[in-house]
Amino acid sequence: MIELIALTKVFKGLKAVDDINLKVRKGVVYGFLGPNGAGKTTTIKMMAGVLMPTKGEVMINGMEISKQPSEVKGCTGFIPDRPFLYEKLTGREFLRFLAGLYNLDHLSSLNARLAELLELFDLSHWADELIESYSHGMKQRLVMCGALLHDPLVLIVDEPMVGLDPRGARLVKDIFRDLAQEGKTVFISTHSLDVAQEVCQEVAIIQEGRIIATGSPKVLREKTGVDGNLENVFLKLTEGKRIAHERSLSAS
Amino acid sequence: MKDLYLLLSPRILGLKNSLLSASYGNRKKPLIMVIAGLVFWGLMFVVSSRMLIYFQSVEVIGDILAHYLLAMVFLTFFSLLIFSNIITALSNLYLSEDLELCHSLPSSLEEVFISKAVYTLIDSSWMVIIFGMPIMMAYAYVYRPAPGFYFALFHSGLAICIISSGIGILFIMIMVSIFPAQRTRDIIMLLMIFMIVALYLMFRFLRPERLVNPDAFFSITQYVTSLQGPDHPFLPTHWVTEHLWGFLDGQEGRSEVFEVILLWSSAAAMMVINIWVAGGIYLKGYSKSQEARRRRGGKGLLNLLIKYVKKPMGPDLASIMDKDIRTFFRDNTQWSQLLLLGALVVVYIYNFSVLPLERSPIRLEFLQNVIAFLNLGLAGFVLAAVSVRFIFPAISSEGKSFWIIQASPVSMKRLLWGKFFIYAPPMLVLGGILIIVTNYLLHVTTFMMILTLATMLLTVFAIIAMGIGFGALYPDFKYENISQVATGFGGLLYMIFSAAFMAVIIILEAGPVYLLFMADVRGSTVTVFQWFQIIIAFSIAFIIICFAVYEPMKLGLEALERYE
Repeated sequence: MIELIALTKVFKGLKAVDDINLKVRKGVVYGFLGPNGAGKTTTIKMMAGVLMPTKGEVMINGMEISKQPSEVKGCTGFIPDRPFLYEKLTGREFLRFLAGLYNLDHLSSLNARLAELLELFDLSHWADELIESYSHGMKQRLVMCGALLHDPLVLIVDEPMVGLDPRGARLVKDIFRDLAQEGKTVFISTHSLDVAQEVCQEVAIIQEGRIIATGSPKVLREKTGVDGNLENVFLKLTEGKRIAHERSLSAS
Repeated sequence: MKDLYLLLSPRILGLKNSLLSASYGNRKKPLIMVIAGLVFWGLMFVVSSRMLIYFQSVEVIGDILAHYLLAMVFLTFFSLLIFSNIITALSNLYLSEDLELCHSLPSSLEEVFISKAVYTLIDSSWMVIIFGMPIMMAYAYVYRPAPGFYFALFHSGLAICIISSGIGILFIMIMVSIFPAQRTRDIIMLLMIFMIVALYLMFRFLRPERLVNPDAFFSITQYVTSLQGPDHPFLPTHWVTEHLWGFLDGQEGRSEVFEVILLWSSAAAMMVINIWVAGGIYLKGYSKSQEARRRRGGKGLLNLLIKYVKKPMGPDLASIMDKDIRTFFRDNTQWSQLLLLGALVVVYIYNFSVLPLERSPIRLEFLQNVIAFLNLGLAGFVLAAVSVRFIFPAISSEGKSFWIIQASPVSMKRLLWGKFFIYAPPMLVLGGILIIVTNYLLHVTTFMMILTLATMLLTVFAIIAMGIGFGALYPDFKYENISQVATGFGGLLYMIFSAAFMAVIIILEAGPVYLLFMADVRGSTVTVFQWFQIIIAFSIAFIIICFAVYEPMKLGLEALERYE
């Protein structure tokens, strides 16, 4: 469903993402883990078509994003880590705006769909208030409504739990699982290893712009020989890489 | 005091770092800005000096005029400084993003307040000082005062900046203690726009051009009386004017100590009062400004307007248009600018209705048509000025939410051309009104009416395309206030290119228009060679208009597609 081929992004001489190759199959929640500054957000933004790769390609649903950007974006939903929205619109107007962008506003079922999503994310009472009066968590939930509005085949999410209260977080995890069961693909980048452990069937760990491990949490545990939760696996993998990097620096 | 220095240091370090780390490409922009500023500075100096030299040559009232002008300049700068301080103080003291950090530090409230007040003083004064300097230097150049003038200028200028800053900050602290900061910003913007519109209209309808027409006055006394401006001995600008004029008119023996004492005691008093008031209400106001406000989205008229306006658009562009219109009318800082635009159009048209053409020695019919033709350039410039306010920021107006467009299936090309077509109808109507009404007032020939209208309507497309294109080439998605976008480097470049474009079109059309117009007036025929010249000139003008539509849009599209 998602394929990243030799994906590279260079910012002013600094390789933020370095030759990433990754395949994500249909119907899974895929976790993209890594320490701060590892290149997670840059990768996600390239997948969402918000950033252009320096080299390589993103393929979603068999289409190359550089060649068919509108088609790829039409079947993708994107949720960024910081929900910057049009503050002078109401929540409902914002969703209608998105419906227009995704060519959905002619649908007779649109109003019902809006009501359903607003209800699901507990925003019905706030739907006609200006977004500028929303809290961070409410904005995040509204962005999620918008990303699901056109029923995307692939959902790309950067740090899904930022700003959400425990109830909101539980709801989002359930939605991700349901989407995967429906055959959709959910690609999430997160710092929270608990979230990854709980909802992701497969994960990739990125460090310094490179993928250092992929597989299910169980496979990764076996590979690293670490017992216990994903946190220990993550620390072992990233720590080992860090020490090796420091050694090579001191040797040079 | 150590904390105060630390609180001021981020800005100083930030400036140092950005200057040191700027690459050659990043230095180009400030360099062009400096060159443009120097050119403007030089022009102001030349114009001011010439005017003062002329004043000096006028017997009896020459020095009175220069003295009056000095008072007016200080009063204008003082008012500008207070306005500027009000806006800057609101942003620095209540809305700035670093305030959370500053208030959470173990520094005293007094130190946080003083650091923000110093930022406000600097932010709002530097530009007024720079642009006021050529006028002061012109006075020094023409009147050759003693060296003490320069010191007097420096210290009295500083005092006036401190007083105006104190007034602005005090006003904002009181306003925010009554209304929340966000609401205060809206109210202030509205009040200021209303005031500017009222002053502008009042000034215009007073017809200051009568001052250069001696027939309008019976005697010198009446003329001088009409110059008695809004000056008052209690105004700080009066103290500065008198203090400096003492040096300029060469009366060395005159004592200005009293004015200096008044000036500096007022400045010191403003500082003390502000610190004292801040201790009582600043923190309360700040915490009040953190409260979110609830406001429902408007219905009714706005929905009706949007429903009909977006009808011819595709669903995606209709959505963007819907969003743009709602955002525009819900943001007081944006829609209120329409009032300025309305005043501008009224005064523009009014100016044509009071042109004293009949007093000109040139043949009336010829003069009317020449003015109508040159009016094309003026109207084009007005449209560019409107465009830099409303169309140039069209792309930047997506702000930090631009990711929504980037992640949506709408291509950048469609977004750009969509914005182009959204702005085309109102701009065509505005351009049409400016030309048709002024031509009607000038009683121009049908030929001139058709020619100027057709040229105007075609150039409108270029003005819009350049606005959108330059806006996409120099986008600012991280603005705090959308009105700042137009005042940046891109806005300046856009205005320069628009003016140059209008000048080229007028120069190209001037020759053929003269040939055709004179043939029409004399009843003679146009020769084949002249027709050839006319066709070539109009064709080149048409090609340039097409180029001015296509090229900026193409460059803007490329820049937007590369934007990260």
